[in-house]
Amino acid sequence: MIGLSRADDAGVYRVSESLALIQTVDFFTPIVDDPHSFGRIAAANALSDVYAMGGVPKTAMNLVGFPAGEMDISVLRSIIKGGAEKVAEAGAVLIGGHSVEDPELKYGLSVTGFAHPDRVLAKKTLKPGTKLILTKPLGTGIINTAIKGGVAPAEVIENATRIMEELNRTAAESMEGMAVRACTDITGFGLLGHAAEMVEGTDCSIRFNTSAIPIIPEAVEYAKMGLIPAGTYKNQDFRGSMTSMGHGIEPFMADILFDPQTSGGLLICIDSDDQSSKNGAEGLLEVLHKNGVEHSAIIGDVVEKESSNKVYLI
Amino acid sequence: MTQKIDAKNQSCPAPVLMTKQVVESESPASLAVMVDNDAARQNVTKYFESQGYDVTVNGTDGLFEVTGTLGTEANTQANADQGARPEVKAEANSADNNAAAQKKIMIMVATDRIGFGDDTLGQKLMASYIKTLKEIDGELWRIVFVNNGVKLTIGDSPVIDDLKELEASGVDLLVCGACLTHFNLMDKKDVGQVTNMLDIVTSMQLADSVVNI
Repeated sequence: MIGLSRADDAGVYRVSESLALIQTVDFFTPIVDDPHSFGRIAAANALSDVYAMGGVPKTAMNLVGFPAGEMDISVLRSIIKGGAEKVAEAGAVLIGGHSVEDPELKYGLSVTGFAHPDRVLAKKTLKPGTKLILTKPLGTGIINTAIKGGVAPAEVIENATRIMEELNRTAAESMEGMAVRACTDITGFGLLGHAAEMVEGTDCSIRFNTSAIPIIPEAVEYAKMGLIPAGTYKNQDFRGSMTSMGHGIEPFMADILFDPQTSGGLLICIDSDDQSSKNGAEGLLEVLHKNGVEHSAIIGDVVEKESSNKVYLI
Repeated sequence: MTQKIDAKNQSCPAPVLMTKQVVESESPASLAVMVDNDAARQNVTKYFESQGYDVTVNGTDGLFEVTGTLGTEANTQANADQGARPEVKAEANSADNNAAAQKKIMIMVATDRIGFGDDTLGQKLMASYIKTLKEIDGELWRIVFVNNGVKLTIGDSPVIDDLKELEASGVDLLVCGACLTHFNLMDKKDVGQVTNMLDIVTSMQLADSVVNI
């Protein structure tokens, strides 16, 4: 159903009329010092692609690159323990894995999930007049850079770690029965990069209400100081021409909105509530808040494109 | 004269942290930072701007010199404040301002081990002491290393990572230059800034309390 020619968050294969298989893989180098947290974050990040496709994770396999000669094996045990905790929290089963000797530590998972073929959520199926909800605050790439630089105090590290460890499971389950049109998760391309990807080649543009976008407060301070990962600038170079900054938006906002996220939230495209039902954006936001996805916010809407696909910041 | 930092071959956030260290410890009126990638160019520019510096950038693809210059007014203030802790930049981050309002603790480290008796135990105690210093939080202002204490700041010291962490968190580390020369360790020093007796004496005067180890 969805493969390389139509890049999405995960590959989707129709097994039968009622079953589609969702497969994804993701791994990276440590972003926090604590191995247990790193394992939890890497797993939350890998599982997220399945949630972004509207699926339920079923099985997972570990991928490990480990410098066996230099690092104590207890580090690896902590990482894998953290990953296993998140897989279990997702209701999936860890069924194996593979490790290689690697001078640089890496960890991640390949995850397989199930979905009904009619309810697979792609990312480019936007529709003008719908709204956009983001379920986690932005800024983890900047915070991770500050952590790397030894600038972030313990409470900032803890807060960011908690956000990155959080599964997108509750957010995904909250979408059940709602008028959702499209969904993706915010990761390496940053909010604006993923938004640009969503509209590219469609009839739509996106209009973000900049002041409504949830941001980790310290990320603003660090962005102003120039603690910005190189990936942010790559994202700006790649998608800057598709974005349009409104008058009065401070320049550092672009750095935060293009900030590569680790285990970021879902960006959900959903109809507005109509008079008779609450299965639209306002209704979903209420459900998300009630379910504890506390940072969720309606951050923009989808409009018809003019001459080209754009992401506007107003 | 414009001071220079070579931050080539450094990936983010290292160039910003190198710049930050010099700006915070010396508040130079003018500072040039050499970088070799665009992300570092933009980040160092942003850092300078956040600290109230005017910025000019020279160079092209692959090699840039980012120069920060303090405005005239701030400049005068910086000169007047020379030798003192750079609290001149009012809009600097709030953590710094809090630190300014807080007590300033200075620690004078004149040995690489704590106490007399067993030397192995003494070295372990020192390692543990340095590791635990971060618990003091914002009030720890400056650590001065003299005599045998300078051996804690060289590359293979057991506490080198802890000292780097303290330095990154904003604690000033001053290392006695004469002592480094005496032990022939000048080029092995891996953390902190080389200092002299005048700085040490001035530091003691500025500190709210001085702890001798």
